[in-house]
Amino acid sequence: MRIIGWICWRWKMGIIWKFFFCCCFIVVTLSIYGDCLSLEDCILKSYFSKNEVLTDSSFQDLLQDELSKFSCKLLPGDPNPQLTLSGLERRLIGEGSHRHLSSTIQLQVPPQSFPLQSCKLVMIERLPSGVFADPFELDHLFHHGAYAGIGVFGDTNLELPSVSSNRSAVEIHMNFEHSISSGAMSELGIRIDLPLHARYAPLHESGYSEVAFGTPDLLVSCSMEGSSGMRSCLIVPSHDSNRLRTDVVWKIPCGIMSHTNVVSVVTFATAFVSTLVIVFASVLYPKPR
Amino acid sequence: MTARAMMNLRSILIGSAVFRLVLILYGEWQDAHMEVRYTDVDYLVFSDAASLMASGSSPYKRTTYRYSPLLAFLLIPNSFLHRAWGKFIFSASDLLVGYFIYKILKQRKVAEDLCLYSVMVWLLNPFTFTIGTRGNCEPIVCAMILWILICLLNGQIIQAAVWYGLVVHFRIYPIIYALPIIVVLDPRYVQLGKKPLLVNWKSNTQKPSSQSSEEASTRYNLWTAAKSMFSKERILFGLVSGGTFFLCTGLFFHLYKWEFLHEALLYHLTRADPRHNFSIYFYHIYLQYGHQLSLVEKLISFLPQSIVQLVLVSSFAQDLPFCFFLQTVAFVAFNKVITAQYFVWFFCLLPLILPWSDMKLRWEGLSCVGLWMGAQLHWLLWGYLLEFRGQNVFLQLWMASLVFLLANAAVMAVFIRRQRCSPIFLQMKVTDAKGGVKSE
Repeated sequence: MRIIGWICWRWKMGIIWKFFFCCCFIVVTLSIYGDCLSLEDCILKSYFSKNEVLTDSSFQDLLQDELSKFSCKLLPGDPNPQLTLSGLERRLIGEGSHRHLSSTIQLQVPPQSFPLQSCKLVMIERLPSGVFADPFELDHLFHHGAYAGIGVFGDTNLELPSVSSNRSAVEIHMNFEHSISSGAMSELGIRIDLPLHARYAPLHESGYSEVAFGTPDLLVSCSMEGSSGMRSCLIVPSHDSNRLRTDVVWKIPCGIMSHTNVVSVVTFATAFVSTLVIVFASVLYPKPR
Repeated sequence: MTARAMMNLRSILIGSAVFRLVLILYGEWQDAHMEVRYTDVDYLVFSDAASLMASGSSPYKRTTYRYSPLLAFLLIPNSFLHRAWGKFIFSASDLLVGYFIYKILKQRKVAEDLCLYSVMVWLLNPFTFTIGTRGNCEPIVCAMILWILICLLNGQIIQAAVWYGLVVHFRIYPIIYALPIIVVLDPRYVQLGKKPLLVNWKSNTQKPSSQSSEEASTRYNLWTAAKSMFSKERILFGLVSGGTFFLCTGLFFHLYKWEFLHEALLYHLTRADPRHNFSIYFYHIYLQYGHQLSLVEKLISFLPQSIVQLVLVSSFAQDLPFCFFLQTVAFVAFNKVITAQYFVWFFCLLPLILPWSDMKLRWEGLSCVGLWMGAQLHWLLWGYLLEFRGQNVFLQLWMASLVFLLANAAVMAVFIRRQRCSPIFLQMKVTDAKGGVKSE
């Protein structure tokens, strides 16, 4: 799946809808990075403009709201254009603290004659607490053409352990290889690799902390001919849960509470011994004459 | 300098410059064509901060920018000239350090071949040429430190003080050099308006010359220092360097407010990173993260560093380059956070002390190198297993950091044992009322 560029749309309230794809990275402290990747009006930006912290329930509410506002129905009574998520397979690739979350998506598009154009897949990955995406790394990948657009929102502080940080989310836009309005049944396969990094996990006696990934939110965004001209719209593909393999668990090594006393004592003892070595050497050996 | 010496130094500098240029060009190619970058992530932080400054915004809008605005200012041409401008600046500073090393050693009459070997110890050190070409700013700090030494050797107290205030504003850690500088500005050796007399280098095969009778005959002691503490040279140095520091800090506080103060100064003073690094304290900090440390715990972690610094200054201040070197090694080794870029802080001082060392490369020198590198590689192995294999080896990694600290202490002890410590200044002669010359 190759992404060759991105398409910018402007989204105005009322009449003409477009998407600008801009990567605006917003952290909890609301500082925005300059490396915007054209996702100015993406769903997550709408969410974080109203909420400081990511919670699943409030995000679902916003998503429902967005879907009802930007439906792909030509007329209110029309049925939704049918798209089927025929397969979703998720894997965590790599070892250690730096891995890729690979999502292989199969979309089935029945032959229809509705005028949907320039569609792209929108994947929203609500990251669990304990992992984060590096906005600067994603920026680098974006400029290498890996995505049509990408944005990281929420707590993007790269340095804090997970006890001191909030969740973040990534919105990725990927162009389709085939046009949906081709008039023939299409089976589309899209693979998205998202590089992720582990935060320092809370202490646990087992020595490992488990971070479980949920199912990503998958939408298709298209532009369609409306009564007032081209507008953008969103479709949620229907799916059979039994065909989705989405259980992904990341085991992150963590500190062990029972080490605390030994570590403290031996650390300070070693510092003391090293101090003595240097002090004795300084006292015993010749000084500047 | 003789023509032959200039030609050799010139060849070394030109060769090093060409090599660094090739590395910078290669780095640009790797960044554009490979997923793994050659450029240090810090350089991207500096560049982004510089772009923000160029557009009139605060450089601190860029998260993780924790440096003086001066650095962002230096890199403003990254935005309109070329993104590698900063790398050229840092690599040029790196070459300047090589030149300063030569200049300092020649001023102290070190033999030509030793001067050139010492310069090569810096310029051919893999840490050195990768750090500048990857976009790390430490070579600028190293160049400033050596320039301060040159100013002190030439008796240019005010200039040394201005640069010192500037370098402490830039990087904070050189504050540890304040005490030995004040000690060495003894009015018996350094006087305003006069070029001080330097103790020349003697090889270990040379018999002591008659010069030695003019070297400082009184051993340094705290009482002597306390009595002459308030000489005009010391007061002037303190006032000018302090004034420079507060002027820079005040100016940038006025421009960028608390964000500057927090990110550029306070963050470094209070930094305690729970993530793994070479410091022995990382696991202790991780296990205690979120808990308030008691006063006793804070004191205990502060004491080893303070004691070592005080003992080193009181023992070696008069041999200023050697004192700087030991202090820097100790400061890095006992710090709460240690990253590889900190090693450059003492690598630039190592060539200044080698001509006075009785340590032979075979086998004592190689053993020190082997011990230090071996301890580091040992740590890196466990670090790799933790970070890239996901194995819980926190305890082993922490023990490797203990071994690294002990290795640093052992290497320091060997250096102290093998150093022919030599004060940098000779006692000055003064004229008495009748015009005769006498020693003070």
